[in-house]
Amino acid sequence: MRRLTLLLLLILLGACKEQVTGGSRPDDHAAKPQVLTSNYPLYYFTSEIAGDVVDVQMPEIDGDPAMWVPGAADIPQLQAADLIVINGAGYESWLAYTSLDNDRLLDTTKDIQDLLLPIENVTLHQHGPEGEHSHKGTAFTTWLDPRIAVEQARAIARGLSVLVPAQAEAFKSRLVLLEQRLVELDRSFEQVFSNLKDQPLVFSHPVYQYLQKRYGLNARSVHWEPDTEPGVKEWVDFQNLLRAHPAKLMIWEGQPSPVIIERLQDQGIQSVVFNPVANQDAAGDYFVLMSANAGRILGSKK
Amino acid sequence: MMTGAFFLGWRYLRFHRFKSLVLLASVTLMMFLPTATRLLVADSATALTARAQATPLLLGERGGELELVLNALYFHAEQPPVLPYSALGDIEASGLASGIPLYTRFRSRGAPIVGTSLDYFAFRNLQLAGGRMMGLLGEAVVGANVASEQAVGPGDHLVSSPETVFDLAGVYPLKMQVVGVLARSGSPDDDAVFVDVRTAWVIQGLGHGHDDLARGDSSASVLSRNEGTITANASLKQFNEITAENIRDFHFHGGTSGFPLSAVIVVPPDDKSATLLRGRYQNHESGYQVLVPGNVLDDLLETVFTIQNYVILGLMMLSLATIAVVTLVFLLSQQLRRGEFMTLKRMGASRSFVATLIASEIGFVLLGSVALSALMSWVTRHYATEFLLSLVTL
Repeated sequence: MRRLTLLLLLILLGACKEQVTGGSRPDDHAAKPQVLTSNYPLYYFTSEIAGDVVDVQMPEIDGDPAMWVPGAADIPQLQAADLIVINGAGYESWLAYTSLDNDRLLDTTKDIQDLLLPIENVTLHQHGPEGEHSHKGTAFTTWLDPRIAVEQARAIARGLSVLVPAQAEAFKSRLVLLEQRLVELDRSFEQVFSNLKDQPLVFSHPVYQYLQKRYGLNARSVHWEPDTEPGVKEWVDFQNLLRAHPAKLMIWEGQPSPVIIERLQDQGIQSVVFNPVANQDAAGDYFVLMSANAGRILGSKK
Repeated sequence: MMTGAFFLGWRYLRFHRFKSLVLLASVTLMMFLPTATRLLVADSATALTARAQATPLLLGERGGELELVLNALYFHAEQPPVLPYSALGDIEASGLASGIPLYTRFRSRGAPIVGTSLDYFAFRNLQLAGGRMMGLLGEAVVGANVASEQAVGPGDHLVSSPETVFDLAGVYPLKMQVVGVLARSGSPDDDAVFVDVRTAWVIQGLGHGHDDLARGDSSASVLSRNEGTITANASLKQFNEITAENIRDFHFHGGTSGFPLSAVIVVPPDDKSATLLRGRYQNHESGYQVLVPGNVLDDLLETVFTIQNYVILGLMMLSLATIAVVTLVFLLSQQLRRGEFMTLKRMGASRSFVATLIASEIGFVLLGSVALSALMSWVTRHYATEFLLSLVTL
């Protein structure tokens, strides 16, 4: 009898051990699939298409998601996600140093490589036996061309349909609505930028390549930060740029400091903010923020 | 009366301890050696083939098949010719299978560092005993034996070993953070250190981290700046540990498609895909080979079994000689003990009593030998198989 009790105890212990080490969580099947996105546009698109079928999340990122470095604390969330929606085009530089299940990555620009734009003027450096090399890349703020954003939204819908096949029709119908809104946004941008087509512009940062191409803008980029006063060399380079490219409007990612605005105004250059909306903003959702961008550009022409 | 014969037999053996022990040892070895050889070979074969059977296909550079299998399955130190990382992409692109990269060139305090992907753990059904899976460049997950033998756990560090003592200009040791310990699996995975394959490339120097040369405070390390090209001087400090602060400064030179792999574990969804893939790589222009590890090991084991048969034949001959010597010892012993037997008869002992006495002495020796050889076989089976398998990873 004692032997039987001991045996039963051992079997119970074995079962418990299996649950701890190898068993799946009991809620696994009941819980919604977890979907992570790498920036706000993708978060917004995914949320709009998925509805409440999946749990869409974006890691808490302070600043530009393109510069995000996942910490050790982010790894469990990344590795537990059923699907990670990424922008692609080199946007997620952190993929180079994280270990993830590649099958769970949904690259939204993988099938539109021909629409992607290469980055120009990259810095080369050389050291060691390998000699000269560079860290070339591709322009990654793809969603600033709403037609590319539509393609990305379609890729998300396809990915979600693979994840939850039973909801494929629902995803498709919500995608149609999102596409309509993106097409409307494209039309409004087209109208807003139509009067700026021949006017020389300056971008404060080289992140507007897709906007420039889509709406045929005559623009050059500098490498200025809104909250950092450019140095003497930067101003000299800027003057040289203006001689060849007499811009009257400078488009910024964020609100520049009053000092910069004033100094630009002294040179007859107006500053206007066009937020790429890479991260969440308390001011509103994706379309609210994009409409605000259009409104500011429109206001700058008056 | 019979009990008396057994008692006398036992007392005789005890009195002639040395002679009895020599007899016991001879007969034990005669029984143990062929049995142990068979058991050892059979158990090792089962253990070897079990892992091979669980690995459907291996992709490697054309060359030594056995070298490739032993390296990919048991992390044997002998390195097969490397194949480029793009070979993994080719497998994935074929749509016939998924692939798991393996790069096993480096070691840490004797333990193989296995550069791979997270898919490996799911494929081998490896569970975590503590911590978490590797998630960032420079992180490592260790097998159960590595954790216990090197007394490391989550939060501790391991350093990769330079390939040679005099490798001053070659591979720099990389300090890796242990983030997880695997549960014991009774396989070579217990003795390995797992990292992302890109971490293995960093160990090799294909990727590295250093101060951003474009930053103003790095000017002391800049030899020259020309038209978008910055040339560093010898003072450029390279990082030997990947931390949260410097991880962004780590980068690879050139595309990773040409970076080395030891092998790719190929996992086709069904037999048809496996056959198609094998056919496709049979005379593939790339120079890669797709092989079935089980078949390669079967060939090896066939040789081992043939050798085993010769060994056992030799042992049988030895056994026959031992039996002859033991018989001779017994016969001579009977001659010497004639006086003793006569005394017994005079005391009233029958012929059968004397026969029982002699038989009991032989029986005790045989029984003792059987028990001892069984015990030794059990010990051998328990420890030697593991030992033999560990030799494969050397």
